[in-house]
Amino acid sequence: MADSSSEEHGDESTWVFYKDRPTWKDVTPVPQDDGPYPVVAIAYSEKFRDVYDYFRAVLKSKEKSERALKLTKDALDLNPANYTVWQYRRELLKSLNSDLAEELRYVWQMIEDNPKNYQVWHHCRVIVDWMQDPSKELVLTEAILEQDAKNYHAWQHRQWVVRTFNLYDQELEFVSRLIESDIRNNSAWNQRYFVINNTTLFTPEVIEREVNYTLEKIKIATFNESAWNYLRGVLEQQENGLAGKDNLVKKFCEELLDTSEKGKTKSPYLLAYVVDLLEESMGRGEDVPQNLEKALEICKSLSSTHDTIRREYWNYISQSLEKKFKKGNDAEEMAVS
Amino acid sequence: MPSSSPVDMKLAKCKHVKYFLRNLKLMPARASSYDSTRLALAFFCISGLDILKSLDVFDEAERKSTIDWIYGLLVEPISPERGDDWDRCGFMGSSTFKFATDGSNEPSPYSSGHLTMTYTGLATLLILGDDLSRVNRRALSAGVRALQQENGSFCASLEGSENDMRFVYCAAAVCYILQDWSGMDVQKAVNYILNSISYDYGFGEGPDLEAHGGTTYCAVAALSLMGQLETCLSSKQLNGLRRWCISRQMSGFQGRPNKPVDTCYSFWVGATLKLLGVYHLIDYDQNKELLLSSQDSTIGGFSKWVDSDPDPMHTFLGLGGLALMSDEDLEEVHPGLNMSERALSHLHSIHKKWMS
Ligand SMILES: [Zn+2]
Repeated sequence: MADSSSEEHGDESTWVFYKDRPTWKDVTPVPQDDGPYPVVAIAYSEKFRDVYDYFRAVLKSKEKSERALKLTKDALDLNPANYTVWQYRRELLKSLNSDLAEELRYVWQMIEDNPKNYQVWHHCRVIVDWMQDPSKELVLTEAILEQDAKNYHAWQHRQWVVRTFNLYDQELEFVSRLIESDIRNNSAWNQRYFVINNTTLFTPEVIEREVNYTLEKIKIATFNESAWNYLRGVLEQQENGLAGKDNLVKKFCEELLDTSEKGKTKSPYLLAYVVDLLEESMGRGEDVPQNLEKALEICKSLSSTHDTIRREYWNYISQSLEKKFKKGNDAEEMAVS
Repeated sequence: MPSSSPVDMKLAKCKHVKYFLRNLKLMPARASSYDSTRLALAFFCISGLDILKSLDVFDEAERKSTIDWIYGLLVEPISPERGDDWDRCGFMGSSTFKFATDGSNEPSPYSSGHLTMTYTGLATLLILGDDLSRVNRRALSAGVRALQQENGSFCASLEGSENDMRFVYCAAAVCYILQDWSGMDVQKAVNYILNSISYDYGFGEGPDLEAHGGTTYCAVAALSLMGQLETCLSSKQLNGLRRWCISRQMSGFQGRPNKPVDTCYSFWVGATLKLLGVYHLIDYDQNKELLLSSQDSTIGGFSKWVDSDPDPMHTFLGLGGLALMSDEDLEEVHPGLNMSERALSHLHSIHKKWMS
């Protein structure tokens, strides 16, 4: 539910209803027709009713005027999610040749007040597109992300701006800063992937750099799913598989396993990664019986100790590994005999 | 295994019925930000009552007047012949901008369908037992088609809106309900969905965007309604997706890695797991405990987080999350269309009639 305090208070004491405004005397308000048996009716405030009665009148007569533009602002204050009002406002801006820089300041104020509203972000994007001026967008989205570093709308807008206006230059630095301040910010890890995937691409050098970067981050927080997912995503861009070049990642995982304290819960993401590594080598036919035994052992420990909420899942993975690789062995043996 | 709480807590069924009835009657002024999407609110409440097996709270007259109110929001073609005005067809979310047409042949200004409202409008009609006979199916399909973008995604309405995965799902649901896939270029829509797989195997709102429980549901359910789920994803992708979804369970479910749990994801992620055939692998007890503790057993309703205010959407989805586990006395929910199996079999009987 949107916060209603801004509309209830603010200039409430000096508020004059449209029906009492001499400047609107020429307009006949159009009441809402909700039929004889309205469902989920809303107990509109008198102000809401008044503003929308006049807005309906303006919409009907297609009035394009400065006063209509002001009216849309009042209508949007009362309901910033009304996409039709936003659309009419855009038509007014066009026909009145309004100052778009001013409009951009207005919409950013609206975003500040309603950071999770789809319509305000859409309006912002249209205005930036009209102006072809993205100069303020990175700073402003950054400000929103300072309040909520995972705001999906802000990231979506930022990606659009970066992609459309080719503003990739400083983006990796920005992302690194965010990851530095919250290593578990999955949105920032996603943005990291986005930047690389749209600039340098995952060349062998970039992969090496990113793998090292991510392993450093995993050392700091081994229970951080975001980093493990990113690691996997990067490694799947090359041919050495999950083990990495010269088995770097494989060795890293083995070391991490060895140094995990006995008796303490181990990172389920680490264990899952090792299961996947083992599956990968079995897929290449390497030491199948031993690797299968190891993999099943880890699944069992995930299921019983380290990831008990997903115990059924790990049992299921264990069974499918067994089916896939034990059966293969049987078939082989049968073929030999 | 914690043996205590889930057993102690009970679903406050009567309270939730009353909660929905109250909202159906009148919402408080602070709900004004929902003014343009009231039809979706009606869907949450009525579909929620259906899941609670309590649709009998409506007598015949109430049922009829609700159906009439919904049809009152339908933007219909002016001419029965295919014309430009068919692009506008669909359901509006409210009567806020419903104008009397003064008998003219001009479409009323700014009256056009909104994809989410077309989907929730049709679904609510079906739940209430309507046979969709007042719907011009070809015009409605044209209205869906008009909203598809070059990249395969959909806008919500002709009146300038963002385009993303939510509306791909709504478009697929409408095409499925109408049994008319001329409402979209299916291949383009599939490509958009495939382009939105993230490196971690969840789906984002669009290409390059972070994977998210809600958008992953929209992507997977849309593919499933199109009959493409098994064919267009590789087994590696399907397994990765299963892992991504199952990893969202923390007690209830979170929408993204390293985010707190939220009632609605017990449905969004849960239904996705069901469509992927691995729902039985989740921890039922912990999910149930979280869901039951997010209900308000005094005034009814479920909230997003334990101890915050309930709202109709989280109440509907919280009940949907419980219904997926089919242990309380709740109507079974179809994970792809997000409505009861009961309403779905009614739809299938309508489909049979259309075919004959
Ligand atoms: Zn939620």
